[in-house]
Amino acid sequence: MTAKLRQFFVKIGNGCRQWLAHIGDWFKALPARFAVRWHTFCDFLKNANGKVAASCLVMGLGQLLYHQWAKGLIFLAVQAAMVLFFVFVGAKGLVGLFTLGTVEGNAWYGIEGDNSVIMLLLGILSVIALVLYAVVYTANIRDVYRTQSAYDCLKTPPTFRKELSSLLDRNFYKVALALPILGVCVFCVLPIIFMILIAFTNYGGTVVPPRLIDWVGLDNFGKILTLSDFAPTFFRIFGWNILWAVMSTFINYFAGLGLALLLNRKCVKGKVFWRLFPILAYAVPGFITLIGFKFMFSYGGPINYYITQSGGSAVGFLDIDAKWSSRLIGLGVNAWLCIPSSMLLATGILSNLNTDLYEAARVDGAGNWKQFTKITLPYVLFATMPVLISQFIGNFNNFGIFYFLRGGLYLDGYFLASDTDLLINWLYNMSIDNNYYSIGAAISIVIFIVTSVISLTVYVLSPSYRQEDTYQ
Amino acid sequence: MKKTIAALSVHIVVVIVLICCVGLLGGTSGGEGQEKFTGELERNVTLRILENDTAIKQGYLKELLDAFNEQYAQYGIRAVDANMDQYTDLANDGPYGYGPDVLYQANDALMKYVDNKHIMPLPVEQLDCYNSVDEQSWQAYTRQVDDQSYVFGVPVNIQGPLLYYRKDLLPDNWQQSWDDDGDGVCDIVQYWTDMYRYSKQLQQGNLLTDSGAKRFGYMRSFMEPYFSVGYLYSYGGYTFGDNNTNPRDIGHSKGDSAKGAWVMRQLASVMDKRCIDDTVTVTAYSALASGEYFATVTTPDVYTTFVTEMKNAGYSDEFIEENLVTADMPKLPVSGDLEDESQGFVESRMMGGIQGYAISSYTKYPNAALAFVDFATSYRLIMRRNQLLGIVPARTDVAAEVGGLSEIICNNLSQGNIVVMPSISEVAQIWTPLQTFFQDLAKDPFRPDDSMDFKYDTLDKIQQRLKEVDEQIYSAIFTLA
Amino acid sequence: MKKIIKHPRRLLGVALTYIILLAVAFVFLFPILWLVLASFSKSGSIYSFKGFFPTDYSFDTFVRLFTDTDMYNYPRWFANTLFIAVMSSLLGTFLTILTAYCMSRFRFKSRKALMKTTLLLGMFPSFMTMTAVYLLCTQFNLINQHWGLILIYAAGAPMGYLTQKGFFDTISVSVDEAARIDGANNFQIFVKITLPLAKPMIVYTLLSSFVWPWSDFILPKLLLKNKDLYTVAVGLMSLDDTEFSRFAAGSVFIALPIVIFYFALSKFLISGLSAGAVKQ
Repeated sequence: MTAKLRQFFVKIGNGCRQWLAHIGDWFKALPARFAVRWHTFCDFLKNANGKVAASCLVMGLGQLLYHQWAKGLIFLAVQAAMVLFFVFVGAKGLVGLFTLGTVEGNAWYGIEGDNSVIMLLLGILSVIALVLYAVVYTANIRDVYRTQSAYDCLKTPPTFRKELSSLLDRNFYKVALALPILGVCVFCVLPIIFMILIAFTNYGGTVVPPRLIDWVGLDNFGKILTLSDFAPTFFRIFGWNILWAVMSTFINYFAGLGLALLLNRKCVKGKVFWRLFPILAYAVPGFITLIGFKFMFSYGGPINYYITQSGGSAVGFLDIDAKWSSRLIGLGVNAWLCIPSSMLLATGILSNLNTDLYEAARVDGAGNWKQFTKITLPYVLFATMPVLISQFIGNFNNFGIFYFLRGGLYLDGYFLASDTDLLINWLYNMSIDNNYYSIGAAISIVIFIVTSVISLTVYVLSPSYRQEDTYQ
Repeated sequence: MKKTIAALSVHIVVVIVLICCVGLLGGTSGGEGQEKFTGELERNVTLRILENDTAIKQGYLKELLDAFNEQYAQYGIRAVDANMDQYTDLANDGPYGYGPDVLYQANDALMKYVDNKHIMPLPVEQLDCYNSVDEQSWQAYTRQVDDQSYVFGVPVNIQGPLLYYRKDLLPDNWQQSWDDDGDGVCDIVQYWTDMYRYSKQLQQGNLLTDSGAKRFGYMRSFMEPYFSVGYLYSYGGYTFGDNNTNPRDIGHSKGDSAKGAWVMRQLASVMDKRCIDDTVTVTAYSALASGEYFATVTTPDVYTTFVTEMKNAGYSDEFIEENLVTADMPKLPVSGDLEDESQGFVESRMMGGIQGYAISSYTKYPNAALAFVDFATSYRLIMRRNQLLGIVPARTDVAAEVGGLSEIICNNLSQGNIVVMPSISEVAQIWTPLQTFFQDLAKDPFRPDDSMDFKYDTLDKIQQRLKEVDEQIYSAIFTLA
Repeated sequence: MKKIIKHPRRLLGVALTYIILLAVAFVFLFPILWLVLASFSKSGSIYSFKGFFPTDYSFDTFVRLFTDTDMYNYPRWFANTLFIAVMSSLLGTFLTILTAYCMSRFRFKSRKALMKTTLLLGMFPSFMTMTAVYLLCTQFNLINQHWGLILIYAAGAPMGYLTQKGFFDTISVSVDEAARIDGANNFQIFVKITLPLAKPMIVYTLLSSFVWPWSDFILPKLLLKNKDLYTVAVGLMSLDDTEFSRFAAGSVFIALPIVIFYFALSKFLISGLSAGAVKQ
């Protein structure tokens, strides 16, 4: 056992070292890669003809000169759209990103003024648009340069129709990923960038629109570091948060897997029926169940009703002194909420497992346990390792459980938090309850860095990342 | 080669110049604003009115809107239900054009909007209700901005805690044994000391209701600061100094406030553990109806809920009218000990709130909105509001006319026995620390059950803790600011 | 000989399996049952219960839930939620499956970077970004619009592609290659071969991307100001404290579509189960 454990740690250590070495190599290779790029660029400048230059001036012009009408017009249209965008929104947005507004509004007299947060948002949007513009612009030059090279080598460049059809085959991923990436960029990445930038402003407290917001550099981080109450609370909550995330992920994952395996057994009749019960739990919205559970464990709730009826004294399962019982109830309730979906997931994954492997194992005389550890577990772990990591993150940032079960307590030894609060609850207390958005944003960056380092390391070391095609 | 470089650089330079020119030239211009309340009514407009859920449920809002629309039809002004959440935050909705024109909320919620000028200062002296509303009520809506004092809201309804009890559940012989002061009203509902004694009797006698549930005297969750902080106020504590306007002076531990906490601890011991968390608050309606609880404390506007529950329990309207009584808060012993009446009594001072109308700064029709507010706070409609919703009017003329409860609360307000919730935004930071403390305190008498030691068995310990609570609030307000 | 010895052990195994299943069923059913009973309680308040069970039962709450709609228009909330959830589930599933397929089957530059980035994005505390989402919606005029919500839910769905990618990773590529030799392009392979094989996964994705908008209340609360546009979750949260049985009835009824959904689609989940032939 100890040997195995040691081996495990050695493995992790090696993995980390490899990863660090990998990062180091990447940086070491940087100058060489840059040199190659520069070289290609110089070649391009030397060889490019007038038509390519035309595309450099105005997108699509070169393509039109090569009589590639459809492509040329598309690029030209993009060029026009971009110009319009920057004239009407983008330019103001980019400048606004630096100033964050100059005229303070006063609603009493109908002076609209500048809304700093909107300006920040539009600024980020404009930067994204500018990057996009650069990408399209280079793609346009590359394209026309490719055409030129083809003619230079006396070949005919691929027709527009052919290029389109490659989008369904070799380049299918480009088409398929465009929409999801766009959506994620606008509704997930943009808000995150916004929040990260907020950490460097004085947004929050009384400084909210219509007041003008300013860049303050690293002030917020300085404030966190110098706050004497901050560090002890952070570490206390962080410890519990790690424990919580590990425990709940472990419980939910293996209980879900166990349930799926149990329901997969040949002897179980009426699988649809048995699987219905966890589905029921899944079907009721989480916040409703949480309110229900809170009431169930409260002093006036049914459990205490039976305890007092049978002559006992009511138990404060979730009250102010109940640190550990609240934590355990939190774990249990979270399991109740999450096991159904992890069972569904495991069921889906297991459905794809090759049953021949079991036959072979049975012929070799492997018992149930052995089959589980040697076939099922590695397979399921392989398929779900990334999911496991995202579940870990989900649990790490599980806001709802303790907000609903035991919100509204500030306990001794904690600054604006209670002993069941997770970092995210603490963050909520500070940033939303108390309106300190910029400090909240700074703290979430700290939390973000910590969690990402942990999970990225695990992810990069996991076989599902390193040998994606094991089972293909 | 030159051509390509030239083309590339021209393109990049043009893009940069374009962005700089358009971006720098197109800034917002400030411009002078103008006074909005010109007195000239906007015509053919629709006003969106945010009212509270009770007013909608009981049909008052519909009546109000109909009456207003009829009167102002000649100007083409129509008022409609904003159809939004009653607690909606104007700071979020208003600037983007989604907020209501007129809103009805509590003073702490409304005055929070003043910080960033989301609501307008009102020319209240033009209003019909100006002279009929008590000075204390106007005070809750007054704030200094840029060295000038403005009024931002029109008080409609005073919220203050009241004692609800069941007359039929009084001890049979109360005239003889529970009326020492001989005023014909049972002492149990007049003095906390007697309430305590009676509750203790019920508890020790292990009396049961007809359906076999255990009977309690006074019952109330201590968790909610809104109802609990009054015990501290009654003995000299306060929330913010300078009449609740100075957030740097936090005074829950000032005066003899620890005595108030001691009273609460004693009361908790004659309730049961349900007073620790908030389950009692909602239980109270049906438990009072079933006779399980004799009395509780809550706001006047939920009277109808008690009536509904009692009807559900099978009582007739006459019986309910006769026996469901609301009364002024009982008096507290000066000694701070519910078993010691020797030093006489003090009045209970409780936290209250004033709900009222305010006008959003983002409304396009300020004059029409002001006309609506004037109309809705007129004698006739406030009277109607009182009849339909049972609210306590801020208009003293209406209060005097309807008498009873409304008069009691109005008097309490003017005598300072209702302390209006602070109207400064820092008030948001007091709730959680206080709530934690009150839970801790209510739990204290029951700690031996869980084999723990008492935490607050002396006044000194309570005093110490209250100081810490004040510090906690202070740091919640100022450490991160 | 061997069979006879093994038999009682197997019987024990079966018995144990059923005992565990019963226990699991109880644990999951009980709180739900409690909610169902509460919804049939005669008095509006859960606090007049004797322990877990109401004292009197009646069907009134459900009648009120659907007829007394002046203040709390449950049927309308329900229709709103159904529309939002169905649309975002369809759109979201489409995007998720597409993303997962590409990430599993294509090897392109910046793929690994993309994978790592998406993992990292999920780690940012989501409520912190709510302010930005709200501001974004005010700019794109998506407040008080059901389509705004659908767009946000669907756009966020591909972030959870890892589950589906893991699944595609376990499907053997040999079938794809055979099809490619027959002249199929990647799009055709995706539509004709991969999608049918991925049925259980699609069902899972549909279900999970349906449940999220179905039960979320933070986002609709933020974006829907008009009471007539509320979803069930927001509406239930706006109920009065004393309306517990209505709350319970609403919560029970909200679970119904998901249960129906499960029954309608469970045969796909199960068919996947028995089809070991998927990979050869």
